Parts: sequence; structure tokens; C-alpha cells
Amino acid sequence: MADTTQSDVVFRPKPSLPPPPNTVGVVGWLRKNLFGGPVDTILTIVGAWLIFTLFYSLYEYGIANAVWTANSYRECLDTVLPNGEKVGHNGACWAGVGVWMNQYIYGRYPDEEQWRIQLALALLVLWLLPFWLPKVEAKIQTGLSCVLTFPFLAAHLFLGGEASIFLMITSSIALALFIAVWLNVITSYAMNKSIGKVLVGVSGMADKDDRLHKYVLMAGFALLLVMSLIYVSSWDLPEVTTQAWGGLFLTLTISGIAIASALPSGVVLALGRRSKMPVIRVFCTVWIEMFRSVPLITILFMAVTMMPLFLPVALNPDKLVMVIVAVCIFASAYMAEIVRGGLQAISKGQYEAAQALGLNYWKMMTFIVMPQALKLMIPNIVGNFIGLLKDTTLVSIIGLYDILLMVKASGQDPNWLGLHSEPLLFAAGVFFIICFAMSKYSQHLERTIAGGYGRR
Amino acid sequence: MAVIEKGGSSSGSGGKSALAFINDERFRSVFYQMFVGVVVLLAGYYLYTNTAANLDARGMEVGFGFLGSTAGFSVAWSLIPYEAGDTYFHVFLVGIGNTLLVAAIAIVASTFLGFVMGVLRLSKNWLIRNLAAWYVEILRNTPLLLQILFWFLTVFALLPSPRQSLEPVTGFVLNNRGFYFPSPQPGDLFFLTAIAFVIGIVGAVILSKWATKRLFDTGQKTPVFPISLGLIFGFPLVVFLVTGAPLAFDLPTLQGFNFVGGASVPPSFCALLLALTIYHSCFMAEAVRAGILSVSHGQTEAAYSLGLKPSWTLRLVIIPQAMRAVVPPMISNWMNVVKNSSLAIAIGFPDLVAVFMQTSLNQSGHAIEIVAMVMLFYMTVSLSISLALNQYNKSVQLKER
Repeated sequence: MADTTQSDVVFRPKPSLPPPPNTVGVVGWLRKNLFGGPVDTILTIVGAWLIFTLFYSLYEYGIANAVWTANSYRECLDTVLPNGEKVGHNGACWAGVGVWMNQYIYGRYPDEEQWRIQLALALLVLWLLPFWLPKVEAKIQTGLSCVLTFPFLAAHLFLGGEASIFLMITSSIALALFIAVWLNVITSYAMNKSIGKVLVGVSGMADKDDRLHKYVLMAGFALLLVMSLIYVSSWDLPEVTTQAWGGLFLTLTISGIAIASALPSGVVLALGRRSKMPVIRVFCTVWIEMFRSVPLITILFMAVTMMPLFLPVALNPDKLVMVIVAVCIFASAYMAEIVRGGLQAISKGQYEAAQALGLNYWKMMTFIVMPQALKLMIPNIVGNFIGLLKDTTLVSIIGLYDILLMVKASGQDPNWLGLHSEPLLFAAGVFFIICFAMSKYSQHLERTIAGGYGRR
Repeated sequence: MAVIEKGGSSSGSGGKSALAFINDERFRSVFYQMFVGVVVLLAGYYLYTNTAANLDARGMEVGFGFLGSTAGFSVAWSLIPYEAGDTYFHVFLVGIGNTLLVAAIAIVASTFLGFVMGVLRLSKNWLIRNLAAWYVEILRNTPLLLQILFWFLTVFALLPSPRQSLEPVTGFVLNNRGFYFPSPQPGDLFFLTAIAFVIGIVGAVILSKWATKRLFDTGQKTPVFPISLGLIFGFPLVVFLVTGAPLAFDLPTLQGFNFVGGASVPPSFCALLLALTIYHSCFMAEAVRAGILSVSHGQTEAAYSLGLKPSWTLRLVIIPQAMRAVVPPMISNWMNVVKNSSLAIAIGFPDLVAVFMQTSLNQSGHAIEIVAMVMLFYMTVSLSISLALNQYNKSVQLKER
């Protein structure tokens, strides 16, 4: 037997060569992404040139040649640049935007009352903040309480004056709920217990029957409600009529109400359209198709020209109210189709499984179908919200002073006659920031909520 | 769907209580429907009586008789000829013509631009890809109305006066009164060229059908594309030249303070068209991008492994499958273009909503009839487009067995 197991016969691979230098590192990236071939190189050069000219002219217009302080548009145009030329249309007149800024945001809302708008905004943010606090439970209740009652509180704050009994009661309910939400946050963080458990513990009913606990909670809330009712009725806010509302504030008010109402009404309409009951199905289908197939502007025109004919003269509804109703109707029809799409994507097995467990229609929808469908619908729902926010600008056509009409108005002010592009660019920036943030957040939500399931 | 049948249970148990029918799903269904029906009818009756009372109080009558009376206003620009003194019905038609014209051009242009942008968003080139992405993000996240106002108030309002017009190509003039271009003046024999064009298209269709059949039968290919090109464009061109080129162009020329001759569109038309095209091209681009991405890479690999060359892979494998995902959102986008063309009213372009729903309504006061007519027009357009879409969806649906 020959001894052949010698180490020099064993196969030893040579170490792999390093990748060619022009495929790795910066050079590799450049070759792959920018200069992959003659066509690619030309495209890159053209693109770079485009970006450069765009940014350079934007810089020249918006910063280098811009006028920041002036008393009129004429003064802006006649400002002399260091090189001895007049600015003219080669530089932005941000001075005008600065002068009108308050109106762009608050419309003709009196200066000394604008804290009410800021307060409402702060309340809204604080109300929704618990969503992002991981320790706080009852997120759905928090969201529902905000969506359902905050609009009344805000309306009371914005309008002021002699509030109606209805507004008084609803806004104090809202205030009580807000306080309850925040008490819950505080107890959750201070004692690791929800407000309900704390209340029950304090009342000494902790060892009693669970069914008695809700009476404790109701009593606690009633106390809160009475206190906030007393507080709200002591408010003495000067009245600000809706004619004075305007600017970004009005835009966000209209679109906010439309967004808040769109989802519930859309769900109802979508369920109605998929119902087995012919009368309900036909009614919902006609409603959805009718309002989806016409432009929003015709619905708005209908609201301002025909609504006064449809309603009794004595009612004399406010123009803003009619517009909000019109936008809400429009939004509900679009949302209904999105929800219907989501419902259709849920497989039949889910419905059948729910029925096999003995759930009735509403329980099946609330606990099995809707949670799954809503997850699927998030991108479309947020897309619809963004569309609504953008479409709200249409109210300027029928003469509501939203941000866009304010922008137009500033160009017709004798002092700032012809100042159009700067305010429009400003408004475009505002819309872009809001809409872009919304769409990015929806992408984030999509990733986090989809969780382990991901896309199918 | 998913209404739980409980009807059977009550009949099964012997001791039926008097109120057992409340739990009967069929009874409930009828009850709910009657309830909704009655509420809707009552609401309708309430609105009807209010409207009748309001109309009475204002001394107004409802009826379409006003359509025959003369509308005493002029329309700034119209596709269909219009003179002050024509009827309200004529105004309606003029509005429809203007709306459809601007929508049609915007649809074609935005679809084209959208395809280019969608493909650029998928480019291998990092710079181009991001440039296209930012184009889409910026323009679709700002309101269309704002863009329309921007083009109208800042770009087209700052154009020079007629005497200092921009004239990049002879006959095409741009100034603050609008865009002027040569208008074709067909001669007597021009109809022959038009007929030749139609014959060419029909011929090309027949040729492609025949070529497909031949390919399947014999495996031989026919150069369809060059022959079709010749049929559609070459043949009419020959006819055109043989008949003595019976087409003249009327060029716009400066006379006094304005241009005469040629054809023209007002600045509001240009602004509306530009804004609609650019805004909607973003949504088209997204549709195209999503459609192409929806075709899995395995399809490309499979086609390559079958030996198809890249251009064939694209044409025969990728695009047909991508179209299935691209077409539905694209068509709903077209619908949105038609609807959004109504924003013309903000810059004074006389579209249907502006001339009919605003001017005519204010003059005649027939709010109900006019709003109904305008809504009916938009509904007709939308429903016919969605019918076409459904047909298409049916034809390209995956045939699952």
C-alpha cells in the first residue's frame, strides 16, 4: 500500500481575487449608477445640468436677489441690487409675504383672539399625543373621543359669543373627555395603572363585583362633566363670525372635519353597498356613484346655489356650514369606494369563520373583517386624506377666504398689487410639507402596522 | 353578503312567543329597508316642499323652457362657434366643447409625459431616478388649483404684449393675449388625403391580423411595422402630393395692436392645459411605475431562458402584464382630468362649469335645471369611461381555472 495521504496533494483553493477596482467603492457606485454607458452618461450630464440651473435660479430668485423688507411691491421691484440693477421680477419679494403672513394663516380672524385657534391646535395635539405613548392603553377610545367631540369644542372656541345649549353641552363633554384622557396618561405613567383602575381602587370597590365598577367610572366622569360644564359656561369669548375665518386655519378646519367624518360615513356607505338588502344597496350605490362622478366644484356650487332653495328660509344656514356639508358628502363617497376595495380584499373564509364562531353581523365586521381591511386600506385612506386637503382649496372659488384666496387677495392689495408668485410659492410650500409628511407617515404606518404579516 | 340566516331557528322550536318575529332575519331585513325607504322618501318630500315654497316665494318657475331663450352674454373663447344672442342650450354645448377639448388634450399629453416619467423613475441612473421621483413628489403634493393659478398669474401674465411677442418658430406666437398658431385651410381635394389616411389605418389593422395568422400558421414573420408606417403615413402623403397639396396655412400676423389670422387660444387655456398635464402626469407616472414593478422579475428571467431577446421580452411578456395593472388607475386618472378641467373657472377659461353653471345660472336663475344638466354631463362621461374600463378589465382578467 502506497502512502498517498500527503498534505501537498490536498486541494487548497487560492484566495479569491479582490473585485476589480472599478466595481467597488465610490468609483464602482459612480460607474453603476451614473456612468453605466454612453446613454447613461449623457443622461447624467443633462440631469446634473438641469439640477444646477434649477437650484441656481431658485437661489438667485429666492435668496440672492430677494427683498426682505419693503413697504410695497413697487418698493420691492425698485430695490437696487449691489450690481446697480433693479430687482424687478428677478428676485422674490418676501417682504409682502411677511406682511400678509398673519392673514395667510388666520384669515381675518382678529389678532387678539388668535390665541383661541392656537389653543385649539394645542388641545388637538395633546389629545392625540397618547397615541405615541407606548404605556398608555385604550388608544381606540382616545382616538374616538377626539374625533367625535373635539370638533364641537373647537367650534365653541372659534365662534365664541353666546353659545347654544347644544354647543355648550357637547364642548363640555369634549373637555371632560380630554381631561379624562390626560388623567389616564398621568396615572399610566405615575402608577402603571389606567385611570379606571385607580378610581376603582380609591373608591374601595376593588374587591366587589366587576359589574359595579362601571358605576364608579360613570360617577367619576359625571363629576368631571359637571365641573367642565361649569367652567365652559363661565367662558366669555367675543363672537367671531365665520366670515372672519380664513387662511390656512379655514383650510385645515374644513379638511379636518371632512377627514374626520369621511371614514365613518365611508364605512357605512361601503357596508350598505355590499348589503343584501336591495333598497339599502341601491340607495348607497346611487349616492356613491353620483357624488364620485361629478367634480367637487359642481357639488360646492350646488351647495351654495341649491341648498338655500332646499331648506326652509327660516333656517338660513351659514355658507361655511353648507360648504362643509358638501365637502363631507364628497369625501364620504370616495372613502366608501376605498373601504369597499378593502372589504373585497378580505377572503371569504374570514367571513365564514366568523359566522361559524357564531358572531353576528356587527361583531363579525367590528372584530374580524374591519381590522384586517383597514390595515390593507391605510395607503389609500391616507392618499384620500391628502387629496381632500388639496381639494379643500376649491372653496376659494366660491368665495371662502381659505389660504389660496388669501394669497390671491394679497396680490390685489393696492400696496402689493401684482404680488402673486411669492405668496403662491409660500402656499405651495405649506401644502407640500403637510401632504408629504402625511404620505411619508402613512408609509411608516404601513410598515409598522402590517407587522409580521407584510404584503401579500 | 354575510347576513346570518337565523330564520330557521324560530320555526324549529315549538313554543313561539308573540315577539319571536323580531329575531327573524327576514323580518328585520324588510323592516330596515322599509325604514330607510321611508326616511329617504320623507327627506325627499321635505326638500321638495321647501323648494316649492321657496320657488313660489321668489316667483320662479322650474322648467327647461329657458334653454331656448337667448343668453345675452359673450363667451371669451369657444371651440364651437358662438355669438352673443345664441340660446342657453347653445351655451351648454359651447361649454361641453371647451371642457372636452381641454380634457382631451390634457389626457393625451399627461399620459405621454406620465409614461416617460414613470419609466425614468425606474431608470438605473441614480440621478435621473431621483430627479423623476422629486418631480412626482413635489407636483402631486401641491393642490392643482394652486398650480393653475401659478401658471396663470405668474407665467402667462408676465408674457410680453403683442408687439414684443415671443415667436420661436414663424407662425407660432406667444404673448399675454394668448398663443397663436397657423390654422390649416384645407382645399377642395383635401378630403381625398383624409380618406387615404383612413384607408391606411384600416389596411394596417388588416395587415397585422393577417401577419399574426401567418406567423401562427407558417412561423414566418412579416415586417408589419414599416409596412404599416408606409400605409398610414406614406400613402396619404402620396395622395396629398398627387392631388396638388391642397392645404394652405393661415399665419397669424401682427396688425395694429394685435394678431389677426391663424388660430389662437387664450392664456387661461394654456395655463389650464399645462397645469392639468403636469399635475396628472405625476399620477400617471405612479401608475406606470407600480404596473411595471408588479410584474415579477421571474417573468423576465423565464422569457430570457426561453431565448427571447430583451426587446421581445419587454414587448411580449412585460408590457402586456404591466398593462393589466396600469390601465385601471390610468383610466380613473383620465376621469379625474375631465373632472378637474372644471377648475378652469378659477382663471376665467369658459368651460362648462364657468359658462353654464356660473354665468348662465346667475343670469337665468334656473339653479336646479342647470345644476342637474351639468351633473348629468359629468356623470355621462364618467359612467361611459368606467363602462369602457370594465370591458377592458374583463378582457385582460387572468383566466383562472
